Amino acid sequence: MTEVKKSSPALIAAAWVIVVLPTLWGLNYTVQNALKIFAKPAPAATAPMK
Amino acid sequence: MSLGFLDRDRSIAPAGYSRWLVPPAALAIHLSIGQVYSFSVFKNPLLALHGADGSAWNLKAVGYIFSIAIAFLGISAALFGAWLEKAGPRKAMFFAALCFSIGFFVASAGATTHNLALIYLGYGVIGGIGLGLGYISPVSTLIKWFPDRPGLATGLAIMGFGGGAMIGGPLANQLMAHFKAAGQPSIPYTFITMGAIYFVFMMFGVFTIRVPAKDWKPEGWTAPVRQSALISKHNVAVAQAWKTPQFMLLWIILFTNVTAGIGILEQAAPMIQDLFKGVISPTAAVGFVGLLSIFNMAGRFIWASCSDLLGRKVTYFVFFTLGAVLYFFLPLTRLDHLNSVTLFVLISAVVISMYGGGFATIPAYLKDLFGGYNVSAIHGRLLTAWSTAGIVGPLIVNGILDHYVANKLPKQDAYPLILHIMSGLLVVGFIANLFVKPVSEKYWLKDSETLTPVGAAH
Repeated sequence: MTEVKKSSPALIAAAWVIVVLPTLWGLNYTVQNALKIFAKPAPAATAPMK
Repeated sequence: MSLGFLDRDRSIAPAGYSRWLVPPAALAIHLSIGQVYSFSVFKNPLLALHGADGSAWNLKAVGYIFSIAIAFLGISAALFGAWLEKAGPRKAMFFAALCFSIGFFVASAGATTHNLALIYLGYGVIGGIGLGLGYISPVSTLIKWFPDRPGLATGLAIMGFGGGAMIGGPLANQLMAHFKAAGQPSIPYTFITMGAIYFVFMMFGVFTIRVPAKDWKPEGWTAPVRQSALISKHNVAVAQAWKTPQFMLLWIILFTNVTAGIGILEQAAPMIQDLFKGVISPTAAVGFVGLLSIFNMAGRFIWASCSDLLGRKVTYFVFFTLGAVLYFFLPLTRLDHLNSVTLFVLISAVVISMYGGGFATIPAYLKDLFGGYNVSAIHGRLLTAWSTAGIVGPLIVNGILDHYVANKLPKQDAYPLILHIMSGLLVVGFIANLFVKPVSEKYWLKDSETLTPVGAAH
């Protein structure tokens, strides 16, 4: 009986890393931008009291 | 050069090949071609270009680049679907990568010579063909590898298309900034660099993809004896499938779901600023668009995976009932009513997740009704619903907005009408879904026909 050679778990993990890494990079960039929607607008500059 | 290594027969998985290597291959393609959703980052830089005679392009003319690409996505998916079934996913992915990259290179020449027709031809036509081929190429292969979870498998791949903009947008911005700082022509060099990067990335998909051997099935898995009447054990060839009422109903389902989603996506940034005047800054509006893209992507995976448990018909009923209600109530969150940005963002995020979910669940719905035999080709033809929605959706949205602006009516009052029309469209989708029944026996492929297949033998 011939032994079946199974795909190595390291190879599977490497394949996922190749697609997950750029996705996480893009996700991080998008989340950083998306959070701006909940940021309070900066208060308008006011003249110092005399 | 012989391209024999791309043949279907040369890409049959050896025994022991893990099916978990196939989704990354599909994702490599979809994450690349999903870049098209971020094309808007090139709009302003393209408008700033000037020809030798000082001429510049206008927004409308530049906007056609994206429209042509999406139109050719639908056309090529419909035309090449049957070829793909014969040629196999590896060859289709290879040509998708080739077209997508060449599209960038031709567009680069167009930007250098200030020739918009060349950009239409490159990014729009050639790149658009790459989009169509790439979009449908891994679908039937994934369904064959994951007969136990077809929704999860196709959801994973199609999620990549939603996520592609998250990579493509910042990548383009950073490349343009880099070339500008170096004193080089930013758009042409960015196009060339992106074409090269995406080609290499897509080649990873090309060489990783495998089709399962004939009669392969997951270890320990047996097809359920009793299952929903809507999950057919029979196959329907593409030539027959598109003549069935089920195909027309699914076309309406996809069309209504996509048109409704475009109602928000098309005007997301201006809409939130108009409905919450003075509260939402342009920067925050861009953040809102980013948030929608995350939910668009997540919805593709989550809803398609859920459809494996709920069933496809029930999943679309959720989209069409919950979606119709949410679209109806969305305008009530605005400044002069409930005045809740949080509620507006939350509802928008849920409806956009269902827009993405509609895209990702449709291949599994097709597989349930027509079998896996020609599912890529059938899916390709169904994508004409997307192209049509891409034209009709903006026509509705921009038509109503233009009417309000032309008649000097408050622009924010146009949005309730737009969103209520979209809600009504979802009711149409609900009715179409209600009528979906198993495909009649007269359309089934006879066993003798499957021995000499039009498409996939395995």
